[in-house]
Amino acid sequence: MNSIEAYFHTDWAAMTHNDWIGLIMTVAAFIAMIAVYVYALHPSNREKLEAQRFIPLDDDRFDSEGKQ
Amino acid sequence: METTEKYHFEVVRWFSVAAVIYLVVGTLVGVYVASELAWPFLNFDIPYLTFGRLRPLHTNAVIFAFGGCVLMATAYYVVQRTCAVKLWSNGLAWFTFWGWNLIIVGAVITLPLGLTQGKEYAELEWPIDIAIALVWVAYTVNFVMTIANRKSSHIYVANWFFLGMMIMITYLHVVNSLAIPVGMFKSYSIFSGVQDAMIQWWWGHNAVGFYLTAGFLGIMYYFVPKQANRPIFSYRLSVIHFWALMFGYVWLGAHHLQYTALPDWTGSLGAAVSLAMIIPSWGGAVNGMMTLSGAWDKLRTDYVLRFLIASLAFYAMSTFEGPVMSIKTVNALSHYTDWTIGHVHSGALGWVGMVAAGALYHLFTRLWKTEMYSPKLVNTHFWLATIGTVIYIVAMWISGIMQGLMWRDYDEFGTLTYTFAESVAAMHPYYAMRAVGGFLYMLGGVVMLYNVVMTIRQASTNPSASAEPARA
Repeated sequence: MNSIEAYFHTDWAAMTHNDWIGLIMTVAAFIAMIAVYVYALHPSNREKLEAQRFIPLDDDRFDSEGKQ
Repeated sequence: METTEKYHFEVVRWFSVAAVIYLVVGTLVGVYVASELAWPFLNFDIPYLTFGRLRPLHTNAVIFAFGGCVLMATAYYVVQRTCAVKLWSNGLAWFTFWGWNLIIVGAVITLPLGLTQGKEYAELEWPIDIAIALVWVAYTVNFVMTIANRKSSHIYVANWFFLGMMIMITYLHVVNSLAIPVGMFKSYSIFSGVQDAMIQWWWGHNAVGFYLTAGFLGIMYYFVPKQANRPIFSYRLSVIHFWALMFGYVWLGAHHLQYTALPDWTGSLGAAVSLAMIIPSWGGAVNGMMTLSGAWDKLRTDYVLRFLIASLAFYAMSTFEGPVMSIKTVNALSHYTDWTIGHVHSGALGWVGMVAAGALYHLFTRLWKTEMYSPKLVNTHFWLATIGTVIYIVAMWISGIMQGLMWRDYDEFGTLTYTFAESVAAMHPYYAMRAVGGFLYMLGGVVMLYNVVMTIRQASTNPSASAEPARA
C-alpha cells in the first residue's frame, strides 16, 4: 500500500451509525451543491434568474399605491 | 404615522436608532478594554471593570446589541419592501424589539457581575439564553409569515440570506446553549471535554458565518443596488453565493481547534472547507462591487455608497485571511496571538460595521423622508471608520506575528529565547496603537449618532425640509 492509498484507507467495518450519517450528509451536500451550480449556470435559466435583479429597484413603485 | 403607512416601519425606526446608540456604547466599552490591556491601571482594582468581565460585555454589545438591532431593522424593512406587504404581525415585531432590548439589559447587568457560562460569544446564563431563543424564534416566524403573505412571485435573494441566518442561528444557539441549571444564574453545559469545545466552535464560527456574514450579506444584496440605483451585477452569482455559503459554512468550526485533543482530520476538514469558501465569498464581494461597473464615479459623490463598497473590500480581505489562517502551518504561528484579534476586527469593523453604517444611513433618509442633516459628517464618519479600522488591524497583525515568532523562538540549547512576560512587554506599543484605532472608530460612531439625531430633529420639526443629499 503506497502512501496515498494509506492516507485514503478506510476501515468500513469500523464505521459507526454516526459515521454513516455524517458520510451520507456530506455526499448529499456535495451533490446538492453541484445541482445548484448546474441550475444557476445553465444558459436556459439565465433570463429567468437575471430578471430578478431589478426587484430592489422596482420596490419604490409600491410606495405610490393606495395607502392602507 | 403608523396608520397612514403602507408598511410597518415604526419598529424599523426604533431598531435603527437603537443600533446607532449601541454602536457608540459597544465601541466605547471596546476602547476601554483595549486601553486596559495597554494601561492595566485602568482596572482600578474594581472587579466589575476588569478585562475578563468587560470584554464579553463589549462583544455582546457590538455583536448582539448593535448587530442584532441592525439585522432586525433591515430584515423587517427589506422583507416588506421586496414582498410588497406589511409585516405579518406588528405586535410580534414590537415583542422582538422590547424583548431584544431586555436581553441586552440582562447582559449589561450580569456580565460585569461575572455571571457567565464562559463560552465565547455565548456567555449569557441560561435564563437569558431561553429569552434569546424565544425572541429569535418570534423574529423568524414573523419574517417567514411575511414572506408567505407576499404579493411578489419571487423571493428576492436578500430574504434568502436573512432566512438562512435565522434558521441556522436558532439551531446553533439552542444546541450550544443546552445546559443543566444548578441555580438561577449558574449552569453547566451538557457537553464536556473536546465535545464541548467542538460544539462551542461549531457555534462560534457560525455566529460569524451566519449572523455576521449571511445576515449582513442580505443587507448588502438589498442596499448596494438600492443606494447605487443599479441592479445587482449577477443574480445567478448571488444564488450560487447563497447556497455555497449555506452548505459550506457549517463545516469550518474545527479550524479553531487545530493542535488540540480534537481528531486531527476534523481540523484538516475545517481548513479544507475554509479554503473552498474563498470562492463563494469572493464571488459575493465581486458581485457587490461590480454592481457599480460603469458607474464608479458615484463613489466620488455618494458617501453612503462609499461605506457599502469599502465594506465589501474588507469582506473580501477578511474572507481570504481567515482561510489562510486556518491552514495548519499558518495556524501554528497565528493561533492564540493577536493576529486572530486583527482578523476578527477586519471583518467586524471593516465589513459588518461599515455595511451596517451604509444601510442605516440609507434607512434614515427613507424612513424619515429627508436627507442626512450633514453629508460632510457622513464623510467624516467614513474616514474615521476606515482609518480607525486600518490602524487597529495593522497593530494587531504586527503584534500577533511578533508574538507568534517570539513564542516559538529558541536558542542553540533548545531553550525558549523569550519569556512570556517579555512578549507581553513587546506588545505594549501595538496595544496602545490598537486603542487609538478603536477610539477613532468609536469617534466615527459618535459623529453618526449626532448626525442621526439632528436628521430626525430636522425631519420632525420641518417634515418638508430637504437638506443636501449625502453627496459631495
